[in-house]
Amino acid sequence: MEKLKLNIKIFFEGAYLSYVGLFRWLRPTTYLATLVFSPLTQMLFFVLIGTYAQGNDKAYFYVIGNALMNAAMSGIYGVTMSIGGDRWDGTLPYLFGAPANRMMVFLGRAFMHILNGMIGVLIGLMWGWLLFHMDFSATNPLALLLTILVTTFSTAGLGLLMGCIGLITRNVMFVNNTVYFVLLVFSGANLELSTLPKWMQVVSNYLPLTRGIASARAIIAGHGLADVSRLLVEEFGIGLFFALLGYTLFRWFEVTAKKRGTLEVF
Amino acid sequence: MSLLKSVKQNLRVIFMAFEIEFRQSFTDAFVLFGIIVQPMIVAFMALWMLRDQVADYAIFVVVGSGMTGLWTTLLFQGGNSITGERWTGTLEPLSCAPAPLRAVVSGKLLASISQSLLSIAFCYTFISLMMGLPVSIAKPWLFAGSILLTVVAFIAFGLIIGSLFILNPDVQRFQNGLEFVVYIFSGFLFPIALLPMWTTPLSYILTPYWAARALHAASSGSGSNGEIYFCWAMLIAFSVVYAIASKFLFKSILRKAREDATLNMQ
Amino acid sequence: MSAIEVSNLQRDFQTTIGVFKRKKKTVKAVQGISFEIADGELFGLLGPNGAGKTTSVKMLTTLLIPTGGTARILGLDIIKDAEQVRPRIGFIFGGERGLYWRLNATDNLRYFASLYYIDPAVSKKRIPYLLEMVGLKDRADEKVEGYSRGMRQRLHIARALLHDPEVLFLDEPTMGLDPVGARELRQTVRNLQSEKKTILLTTHYMFEADALCQRVAVINKGEIVAMDTPTKIKDTVNDLSVVEIEVFGIPPETFEKIKTLPVVESASVEDRDQRQLLLVHTSKSAEAIPLLIAELQGLKMGKVTAREPTLEDAYVRLVGGE
Repeated sequence: MEKLKLNIKIFFEGAYLSYVGLFRWLRPTTYLATLVFSPLTQMLFFVLIGTYAQGNDKAYFYVIGNALMNAAMSGIYGVTMSIGGDRWDGTLPYLFGAPANRMMVFLGRAFMHILNGMIGVLIGLMWGWLLFHMDFSATNPLALLLTILVTTFSTAGLGLLMGCIGLITRNVMFVNNTVYFVLLVFSGANLELSTLPKWMQVVSNYLPLTRGIASARAIIAGHGLADVSRLLVEEFGIGLFFALLGYTLFRWFEVTAKKRGTLEVF
Repeated sequence: MSLLKSVKQNLRVIFMAFEIEFRQSFTDAFVLFGIIVQPMIVAFMALWMLRDQVADYAIFVVVGSGMTGLWTTLLFQGGNSITGERWTGTLEPLSCAPAPLRAVVSGKLLASISQSLLSIAFCYTFISLMMGLPVSIAKPWLFAGSILLTVVAFIAFGLIIGSLFILNPDVQRFQNGLEFVVYIFSGFLFPIALLPMWTTPLSYILTPYWAARALHAASSGSGSNGEIYFCWAMLIAFSVVYAIASKFLFKSILRKAREDATLNMQ
Repeated sequence: MSAIEVSNLQRDFQTTIGVFKRKKKTVKAVQGISFEIADGELFGLLGPNGAGKTTSVKMLTTLLIPTGGTARILGLDIIKDAEQVRPRIGFIFGGERGLYWRLNATDNLRYFASLYYIDPAVSKKRIPYLLEMVGLKDRADEKVEGYSRGMRQRLHIARALLHDPEVLFLDEPTMGLDPVGARELRQTVRNLQSEKKTILLTTHYMFEADALCQRVAVINKGEIVAMDTPTKIKDTVNDLSVVEIEVFGIPPETFEKIKTLPVVESASVEDRDQRQLLLVHTSKSAEAIPLLIAELQGLKMGKVTAREPTLEDAYVRLVGGE
């Protein structure tokens, strides 16, 4: 019981510290710029192209897709930076030297970004309501929230993996940007997946976000939780898979770095 | 010193800065992402989203997504052109040399813009072939002229962006958001007629809008020669205004940096 | 006419402290320094880290605007005539930044040559000449990122000399170099002096100033505390030795009395946990030690040592036993 309490403490300390560390320079303008303004412009751009191509009836399709992309924004950039940040600040040796439960440290880092990502998605949907008069009357709010939570979790899982790859390679931002744009194409946020070439559909199937977006579209259109439960379970599973892969890599990195004494070098 | 000699010397500075920047940035993963990966993904998505209309509009989409790449390059490369030198410690020797810093930055911008144009030419040939879209230019000479003026106007615009970001760091926080805002208001991939009426003046004061309009009109043949010449006149007018304004802006940022001791930051 | 005339030059910095409650604080980095450097002279600005050396050099090289005072270089005002000053001076700042690491030495120099409007025909000859002079000829085609610290420092010198400036500013050119590298660099500086260039060199090594400079100004906390030939400055310290005595609980009146002893030139007390370290500057340590011990009679004492003065002791004397 004591051990559990300790682990919970480690988890929240890690969550808090990584978040504060990341937004050390955070001011209201920065927050607005990165989490409200920037996602809005991206959404508008794709909604306008989409409606130009297919008419105003299709606006929801793009609003929902791009709102859910905000989950990926937090999941990938936020989580990666909070892991990569340790290397840049030179605090990695300290972290590895601490007796804290690694899993808790690791997940703690993702936690706040999941929360943040959920807020981002909600803001995105709010824009849809305000600007495109999106209709939520048939929507089951709890099911929608669950979808958002699961989707943000699964992108954060990918973020944990990317963060660990970031620890090994030097070009964290290059990797991040590429992954973000790959998700933009393959997740179906802006493209009807069924129209894509077969090989692209196969890739989509193995990525987080794809099922989350599909599920959100279904729920907003009036489907119940039962209709999307399979999608959500799979989305969660994909997130868990990437998170575990990231964790394994993290431990491997720790062991190798300790063995070779390269904690600072990295 | 005669005017002719001065022009010749500064042209040499511009070409030297061009060469140096061109060679350096080909080893920078971050630059490569902005110049090659991102425009390629945006182009792919735009082509796919607009594919039902594309039969007649192939060239419209190709030129429009090319413009997105060009603008992103300018926003990030131009925005960081002076700040970057400040971080490497090279702004001190640069600002102490007799050559005006504006000439150096112009050369750097020319390099980024040329790289962007090269990558656009390459990736559109590739994508058009892959997707089997017919791409032909209706008025090749006017198109070439429009490209030339676009390059000049973008360099002038880049000088302003770079110095504004230094004068007001709060503006820089919106750098990511400005990317899509200009995509939207410049009518790169959909006509600005889709936007609310009140935003039209906003488009008119953006150099990229006139560049996109000239290039669209010359490539698809949808506009009259008179319209193209009008856009040219606007591009020239903007270039002149920006070039003059940049002279004062650069003078004031260099003076301010010497007062605040921010020529060199570590 | 002197090549460099500095009169009452000052520079303040505003710094903000605290993250949430931002408070402004003014730091006086340079507080009114004055000196003149003759044509062709090698002048040293000597002082500890943070004394204001770099700030002074940055003002003189037009990179920083002074908050007060004036300075002229070759008769030109550093603020009003900055544009005319720049082509006639060259500068290097200690450290490795300020170069393009992804380019080789030749390209770095080609770039700056164009910025100084040097005719390509001229720079084609001058660049190999300078690379040879700073000993980088054999590795001129390698990227700067693979260079050692000393090589980068020497490349900085070559860059500063591209336009053959009349006045050179070298700010801690040997900082961070290994002994061999530092010696080679000092040789380069000597060669420059034989080319009749006016040079202002800053350093925190007494011996370096001694080996190179004709005259030296000692700067501390933004003020010049001494200015003379290195020999004369050393003379002021050479007769001095420092006696250090560990004592436990020295009463203020005893310390005051020690200060008035004829053999004692200056004295200070530093707290070290429960004990104090009494520092006494004297020219006659053999006489002073017994006298001091007599004064401290009855107090518990630790180590007693006499040592040669260091540069720091020279400062203590120069600023009057601070």
